[in-house]
Amino acid sequence: MLKLPLIKLEMNDRRRINGPPGGTRPAVFASHLESSSAADRARRERQPTELRKIFLKTGLIPSASGSSYLEFQPSASLAAARETPKSLIPPSSALKLACTVHGPKPLPRSAAFSPNLVLTTHVKYAPFAARKRKGHIRDASERDLGVHLETALRGAIIAERWPKSGIDLTITILEAEDDRWWADAPDSHDASWGMMNVLAGCITAASAAIADAHIDCLDLVAGGVAALVSDDSGDSSTTSPRLMLDTDPAEHRSIMSACVVAYMPARDEITELWLKGDSSKAALENGDARSAHEALIDGAVDAARGAYSVLGDALRESVLQTIQS
Amino acid sequence: MTSPATAAPSVPPSLSLPPSQFARLQPHAYLLAHLSPPPAMNQPSVRANGRAASQFRVTSANAGSLTHTNGSAVVRIGDTAAVCGVRAELLHTEDIASWSVSQSSSATNQSNEAGGQGTDAENEVDRAQIEDLNLLVPNLSLSTGCAPGFIPSAPPSALAQSLSHQILSLLHSTRLVKADDLRVWYQPPNLEHIENEMDVDGGSENRHPREIKAFWVLYIDIMIISLAGNAFDAAWASVLAALRDTKLPKAWWDVDNETILCSEDINEAHKLSLRGMPIASSFCVFEADAAAGWRAVVIPDAEEQNAEKQKKKGPQSRWILADPDGYEEGLTMEKACVVVDKENGKTVILKMEKLGGWTIDTEDLRQLVDISAQRWDEMKQILG
Repeated sequence: MLKLPLIKLEMNDRRRINGPPGGTRPAVFASHLESSSAADRARRERQPTELRKIFLKTGLIPSASGSSYLEFQPSASLAAARETPKSLIPPSSALKLACTVHGPKPLPRSAAFSPNLVLTTHVKYAPFAARKRKGHIRDASERDLGVHLETALRGAIIAERWPKSGIDLTITILEAEDDRWWADAPDSHDASWGMMNVLAGCITAASAAIADAHIDCLDLVAGGVAALVSDDSGDSSTTSPRLMLDTDPAEHRSIMSACVVAYMPARDEITELWLKGDSSKAALENGDARSAHEALIDGAVDAARGAYSVLGDALRESVLQTIQS
Repeated sequence: MTSPATAAPSVPPSLSLPPSQFARLQPHAYLLAHLSPPPAMNQPSVRANGRAASQFRVTSANAGSLTHTNGSAVVRIGDTAAVCGVRAELLHTEDIASWSVSQSSSATNQSNEAGGQGTDAENEVDRAQIEDLNLLVPNLSLSTGCAPGFIPSAPPSALAQSLSHQILSLLHSTRLVKADDLRVWYQPPNLEHIENEMDVDGGSENRHPREIKAFWVLYIDIMIISLAGNAFDAAWASVLAALRDTKLPKAWWDVDNETILCSEDINEAHKLSLRGMPIASSFCVFEADAAAGWRAVVIPDAEEQNAEKQKKKGPQSRWILADPDGYEEGLTMEKACVVVDKENGKTVILKMEKLGGWTIDTEDLRQLVDISAQRWDEMKQILG
């Protein structure tokens, strides 16, 4: 017997148009109830160290002092599903987000004196960004993302050049990454893995927007993700998890541990490190003396280096455009 | 776009300012200088952004690019960009408090008149179900960093609330979405022969009329990603494009699970059949001397004559600008919005709104409708 909770999204919010007062239920697909076949699940078709392509463009929002738009390349399964649509359930999703920077502007009179630039970050999912409808008010995970993003950027901005001023950085996530493959039941290894990819994307996009706003930084900050995944279908006791870069959680059976870094290559400095999960069971190649979590961090840094090259190209392109026009 | 030559006449030669600074310091004079260049210059009257008065900005639309939506669209009008996603969820009739009461009065009427003559009654049921059950839920968000004035963490601003409501009322008044597309029916199986066996009397054929088990509720969320004036046209165009893209899965009442199940097969899904294609066009009125109208003594007959005279004699004192950008919106008080549709080549006005001033007269409104009709043709091409 199915038990579906009624979802009530901010029923008392009188500033918005609310749906039916009794709440609504998301659609349940008939195929969902039967055991899903493993054949059609999304699979990683990239090499372990191969990164997804990133589309990054700055200056698309003229009313902001700096802006950027970032999109991850859709996975092979998603691209195939878009090419020849068969099912209404998307196999995976690809990150899409827009970032704007307003400022530097003077702090309001009521604010306390600050000798440095005050950075405020807001991260918000669009209601249609994830598989489950999101509310209009920022929830705890969105605030958490904002805090992580702020620490990642604070280390890069030369804040003492703008005393008594602040910048507002806003990220709107139009499409987020999944936390796991949609048909998998939640298990013990489950965590919000998709959020880590989202954070990496946020860091890269925010860095581009800040550079587009002509705010002095030590270097561009790029975000990267690496994860220890075990993809075995049968008994997973024999094989141990492997290290993969730029993981799409929908493409893996279970992720043991993941790490996201914000990295500045020019100074070889990590401004933000977030590591989740258990990395004790990972198998590294023979002769590799690193511990598993060191390998994980190195992997994330490698992924960030890849994002950094995209970041540099995008900014070079926008600078060339402004010079030519 | 703006050449220094166009701004030059208003700037004294001794003090030279680049046009961009002049535009910020004296926005009203700057736009006026563009719209009414001195006759000596022999230049056409254009807006500061280089467009003619009735010219809309370059518009593009792209549908179906978001993964987790039933339908989605991105519409850009110049530098204003709106992203709209439509998500469908199910409202079970058992969750509607007043369902059994309202159904006994309306649904029986409908089933009697389903034979075709009662279209008025059907329309009324259509309207009542969509409006009373809140089956369309549009919400517009400006807290995306789209323009400097909006604080991202704050609740929706007055503008965002007003735009959401305008979209809702336009959805209702144009009756764009048909209620029948949103209904999930259930035909109870005919158990008559079993009943006969059990010796229960009075089993007529109409004993089990098919019933509505659920409705699709469309959550229509619009994110204004970039705001440079005329948010309503962009938002409405994105809603329209997203609804045209929307596919609802085939849904049925599953007796065993006592719930609604959907088919994931895309061939079984149905598109919404929308009523027409209403297109919104917004205008604003730029006045050479904004305070003139307020100082004038209004004598009904004399005023009309004066206006006639002024039109003939004096230089043009006001301009109706189509699709205003953010700069122009800040300089004007009077705004107008016309929503039109075309049926068999005939223009139908679905909404007409004019507020903030009194300079647009009947003749002007007629012209605005003509411009909106042209815009409809343009948008039809863009939306495909």
